[in-house]
Amino acid sequence: MNLFRSEEHIYRWLGARSPGATMPATTLSALAHAWWGDRLAPQWKPHSRQQNQAILDSVGLVGDFWQIAHG
Amino acid sequence: MSPADIALRNETYQAFVALGRSPSAEEVAVVMRMTAAEVRAGWRRLHEDHALVLNAGGTEIRMANPFSAVPSAYRVWATDRWWYANCAWDAFGICAALRSDGRIETSCADCGEPVKVAVEDEHPDEPSLLFHCLVPAHRWWDDIVFT
Repeated sequence: MNLFRSEEHIYRWLGARSPGATMPATTLSALAHAWWGDRLAPQWKPHSRQQNQAILDSVGLVGDFWQIAHG
Repeated sequence: MSPADIALRNETYQAFVALGRSPSAEEVAVVMRMTAAEVRAGWRRLHEDHALVLNAGGTEIRMANPFSAVPSAYRVWATDRWWYANCAWDAFGICAALRSDGRIETSCADCGEPVKVAVEDEHPDEPSLLFHCLVPAHRWWDDIVFT
């Protein structure tokens, strides 16, 4: 889960590996704030799988790659 | 996850942030009024539940996500100190967890060029940067350190 300067850099880094998923830093920040924002809350409780899937959905990360539970 | 294990997890996270590093089992035991052995046993259950990640020996914390207990390629300046993140996602996550603006320092994973990103009001000041996730979501916990 890395940062890159451009698509060109991602594909050079991948080499022969199949690409995963790419998003702009703005989407990553929105995802991170939704995902991690409660981690230090005094009454933190574990997220359910459904809650985590809803967070991914909320920032537009949909499709098979982003399914936490696989068929 | 039992209420007792959730309480142990929450105290462990509070200790991590208060100390600016991973707490030892002995340090958490004092606050929790438990033995260090009981803390380690609880940590192992939390590890199995993916609530934190222990080192290979199973005795010390490797990740209290989004925080890394060991130096990494992702440094984050927030709340007047440096933190290490496990990955780019976690680097933004440290700002989120601390509810703080911050500055992320890393390098492009391809070329090694330094990358600095300021996070203000949850927004990065370098929106042209790209994040790549290699592993599909259903396999993240197959090897969370690699992920």
